[in-house]
Amino acid sequence: MKPPPFTYSVPTTVADAVALLVEHAEEEPRVLAGGQSLVPLMNFRLAQPGHLVDLRRVTGLDTLRLDGDHLVVGAMVRQATAERSPEVALAAPLLAEALGHVAHPPVRHSGTVVGSIAHADPAAELPAVALALDAEMTVVGPQGERRIPAGEFFLGPFTTALAPEEILTEVRLPRFPGGHAFVEFARTHGNFAVVGVAALVAVEDGRVSRAAVAASGVAPTPVRLAAAEEALVGMTGDDTAVEAAVDAATAGLDPAGDVHASAATRTDIARVCLREGIGRALRRAEDRR
Amino acid sequence: MTAVERPAPPPVRTHKEDRRWVGKSIRKVEDPKFLRGRGGYVADLVRPGTLHAAVLRSPMPHARILSIETAAAEAAPGVHLVVTGAQAAELTGPLPDFGPDPTKHTWRCLAVDKVRYVGEGVAVVVADDRYLAEDALQLIEVEYDPLPPVTDPEAALRPGAALLHEALESNCAYDRQFTFGDVARDFAEADVVVRDRLRWHRSGGQPLETVGAIADFDPATEKLTVHTNSLSFTSYMFMAAGALGIPMNKFDVHQVPAGGSFGSKLFVTKPTVIAGMCSRILGRPVVYLEDRVDNMSNCDHHGSDRVYDVELAVMRDGTLRSITIDTIDDYGAYIQFGVGHHGNALAQVTGPYTIGSVQYRVRAALTNKNQQGAYRGFGSEVNNWMLEQVVDKAARELGMDAAEIRRRNFIPPEAFPYFIPSGNVYDSGDYATVLEKALELGEYDRWRAEQARLREEGRYIGIGLISAQERSVFSATEFWFWFDEPNAPVTSSPESVTLGVDATGTITATLYSCAFWGNSPETMVAQLVAEEFDCDPHSVSIIYHGLSGGLPATGPGGSRTTVMLAGAVEGASAKIKAKARRAAAHLMEVDPEDLEWAEGGFQVRGVPDQRKGLDEIAAMLHMFKHSFPEDLESGLEESKVYDHPYTTMPAPDRSDLGVFYPFMGNACHVPVVEVDVATGEVRILAYAAVHDCGTLVNPRSLAGHIVGGTAQGIGTALYEEFVYDDEGQLVTSSFLDYSIPTAMEVPELRIGHVETPSPYTPHGIKGGGEGGRMMAPAALNAAVNDALAPLGVRVTELPMTPDRLRAAIREAGAAPGRG
Ligand SMILES: Cc1cc2nc3c(=O)[nH]c(=O)nc-3n(C[C@H](O)[C@H](O)[C@H](O)COP(=O)(O)OP(=O)(O)OC[C@H]3O[C@@H](n4cnc5c(N)ncnc54)[C@H](O)[C@@H]3O)c2cc1C
Repeated sequence: MKPPPFTYSVPTTVADAVALLVEHAEEEPRVLAGGQSLVPLMNFRLAQPGHLVDLRRVTGLDTLRLDGDHLVVGAMVRQATAERSPEVALAAPLLAEALGHVAHPPVRHSGTVVGSIAHADPAAELPAVALALDAEMTVVGPQGERRIPAGEFFLGPFTTALAPEEILTEVRLPRFPGGHAFVEFARTHGNFAVVGVAALVAVEDGRVSRAAVAASGVAPTPVRLAAAEEALVGMTGDDTAVEAAVDAATAGLDPAGDVHASAATRTDIARVCLREGIGRALRRAEDRR
Repeated sequence: MTAVERPAPPPVRTHKEDRRWVGKSIRKVEDPKFLRGRGGYVADLVRPGTLHAAVLRSPMPHARILSIETAAAEAAPGVHLVVTGAQAAELTGPLPDFGPDPTKHTWRCLAVDKVRYVGEGVAVVVADDRYLAEDALQLIEVEYDPLPPVTDPEAALRPGAALLHEALESNCAYDRQFTFGDVARDFAEADVVVRDRLRWHRSGGQPLETVGAIADFDPATEKLTVHTNSLSFTSYMFMAAGALGIPMNKFDVHQVPAGGSFGSKLFVTKPTVIAGMCSRILGRPVVYLEDRVDNMSNCDHHGSDRVYDVELAVMRDGTLRSITIDTIDDYGAYIQFGVGHHGNALAQVTGPYTIGSVQYRVRAALTNKNQQGAYRGFGSEVNNWMLEQVVDKAARELGMDAAEIRRRNFIPPEAFPYFIPSGNVYDSGDYATVLEKALELGEYDRWRAEQARLREEGRYIGIGLISAQERSVFSATEFWFWFDEPNAPVTSSPESVTLGVDATGTITATLYSCAFWGNSPETMVAQLVAEEFDCDPHSVSIIYHGLSGGLPATGPGGSRTTVMLAGAVEGASAKIKAKARRAAAHLMEVDPEDLEWAEGGFQVRGVPDQRKGLDEIAAMLHMFKHSFPEDLESGLEESKVYDHPYTTMPAPDRSDLGVFYPFMGNACHVPVVEVDVATGEVRILAYAAVHDCGTLVNPRSLAGHIVGGTAQGIGTALYEEFVYDDEGQLVTSSFLDYSIPTAMEVPELRIGHVETPSPYTPHGIKGGGEGGRMMAPAALNAAVNDALAPLGVRVTELPMTPDRLRAAIREAGAAPGRG
């Protein structure tokens, strides 16, 4: 369980980092953030990059700030930092709640929020959070900067809209005024979840005015569950409405089974997580007013 | 049935009553070194200049090896050596195999001609470091001709199944039915026959440090020195020497702390043979230390993997009369320990009950999986689970309470020593007391009320109650009584200790087995020595002697070591005291018989101020030998090789297997669980465990065993499984997919002890090393079944994963409840 040979560079600017990716393009280079997914993959030799561009020393990537109605998370913000940040608690409590489910504290002290999103593990929490919040990805490549909406970012398991020479420099999470919840089911504490649900609900005059629901572990990418959102909007948010939203959401699911849960069990578990997640987000939305 | 003639048990001992150290909770003497990171594991001992070996693992479950191309690997940077399986077979012999017909399923350190499971070694590369070695592995090209994978034990035995070992002409390595007592009569007279079909899937011990060996061959002396974390020591190292073709007197092996074994480092000859073979070729030190995937896929120590068909003959009043057990055990690709695991089961096949007759059929199936080895319980834990499951089923069918059916069938305290139908003896026990204490500690009645209350709220609470045996101190007959030939005599499985009292009177104990595997041998010996010599256990120094010049030592296994070490310490102490008595008598000019041992020295009986302390006696014996009679030699050091205290031969026709596991512990576990019927998740709300393993040596370290064993039992019951898919791929080859309970999944245990001393061992000690895991799977299964009873669901397969529970609940048509 040792990685194959690779070369390594530690640039200090985003421009240099991109230039290095271009320069080493032949060697299938990879960006190294916290290394908590990439290094194990290299140890298993499932990833064999010839060159690593470490983002650790790149100035400006550790920003974690409020920009108007957006929380901006730089590429090198560690998961543990975000988890404890007052800005995150205020502007994106869904992210804070989800982070508590990511791995164990030692992993979160190295792993980055953005690295998890770039990694795009279909079972991971943070891609589902990005999707639920309609995050925007700021990407820098040889052609300069572009923004990719979360809805267009996740293309498949471990596959995103990022080009090989592009770096995801920051993720911008719009504030969602309302209630939130992240609920998941994992075999053991700290292990990857079987299913995770990110739920956001806003309530006005006793009725749901806006809802966003995303799930992980039920498809090759995290998915937005539009049917559940439509079922919720305009309703009072009682048990019947929640149940209708759960039904609507699961009707469209066709998860693959694996060693932890068959397709049928995964759907059963998704129902439970959805019910709990939507319920909790609703209660919080009502408490907020 | 002819009555079996049995040799008389050994004489009953009287145990010292006013014990000072045995029975006292003390800090483990090993802790400081481990807590400071100074334990000295294999990886810690690798010196600069040592070469690293890495093994190419087969990606195929079953295939013929057509060719292996190694030229590119040999030319790779830093590579010193590449050895293929075929080459290794020229350099080394087969690895030890206690199965029937070992020549028909030959097991070697690397596969030759054919691979039989995913992960089996095909070639080894030795390079300057492990990185370069793994780089070179990628350059080896193996051409495989795939064969059909055999992954299901029952299918493996059907005619037409692809053959693992052609020479065997079948995938059945062993098939025999034993009958003990009048099974036919007991079934004919039974009111009810309870039938069950049960499935226990394979898991295994998960060590922190994997298995490894550092081998250093000295071409000048032709001596091979090995540091390894093998559990098995002097008595069994001839097997590694034999496989390497090295004379025993040119082979030295040094102990390394196990770093987690739970059985899984028993014998481990393969790493020693791989590293030794490479070091001998290169004349340089070579380390082979498995990585995690090597360990999970190729450690040769997967646990039991059984299908059971069971019938229990029961009377309407709850009396258990007889049991027939028909089991198929999936051994994987080889069968190194034979069906010894079923010897373990037969040691306590009828549990704590007076079941009068037994029929036991075992079939060992060979499949394309890593082979079975040892895992805490060694197969007896599976029998415990099976028996408790079927007893619970009987209770349900008779409408009896789980505690009541057990009470009614317990062997009563006055019936010991008690011979069970298979021929093994239970030395002593008090099962009802253990049960009552567990009910109390587990707040059984309160939880029953709570269960009823919470059921009203739609919650599914279950209370498990099981009573099960914990055999200890194996005798190796269980490895060979399966065969009519060869007919070996009883094996003594000895353990040795040397005690030395130096010129200042401090005591050093020398041990000859594995350095540390969780049972704290140093603490045990320090306490036992302190008990003998009235010193502080923390003042006793412990050292380890390696193989060369070492006394016989079997090493841990079958919860034997504390009892065996106690016997050796007792024997060596007696020799020291005999010599010291003579020396003291001579110095004080009194008759030796007039002296008594008191407070760390010899004194004239009833005259406490006329005495010589051990330090004074030792100083004289070390420095002034000429003050003593001719036959008293200088120094004060004695050894004891302690042999198994109670083991007898099986009957020639195997209608009785003799005594092979005589010191019988017992425990009762009472877990309370909640099953989330919507997700299939099981949460443990409370857990009480009461154990009786005779006289306690160190309650604190025994509690550690119970907690650790129960944690592993929780793993077996709910989480852990080596899953091979239908294509024979191991889909759980790292901790990403092999679920294992963490501290978050293991509840605080309430632990209680009952002490029923053994009449045959020093201080009345019995082994307690495997306890928790021998009870927890059965107890949790009982609890889950209790929780799901209102839905008509009974789970008969372990581990009880969310997936399996949900499938069972869906099948029962139960509504998805929560919320
Ligand atoms: C024991 C353990 C348990 C874990 N459990 C969980 C869990 O429960 N849930 C979970 O979600 N995760 C879990 N993880 C993964 C962890 O959260 C990772 O930290 C995270 O997935 C990746 O973040 P990272 O910073 O470590 O990225 P790295 O490992 O450094 O990189 C991951 C991938 O993303 C790419 N990448 C990283 N940053 C960028 C960027 N800025 N631009 C472009 N590409 C980039 C890398 O090139 C690489 O391909 C676990 C990890 C471990 C070791």
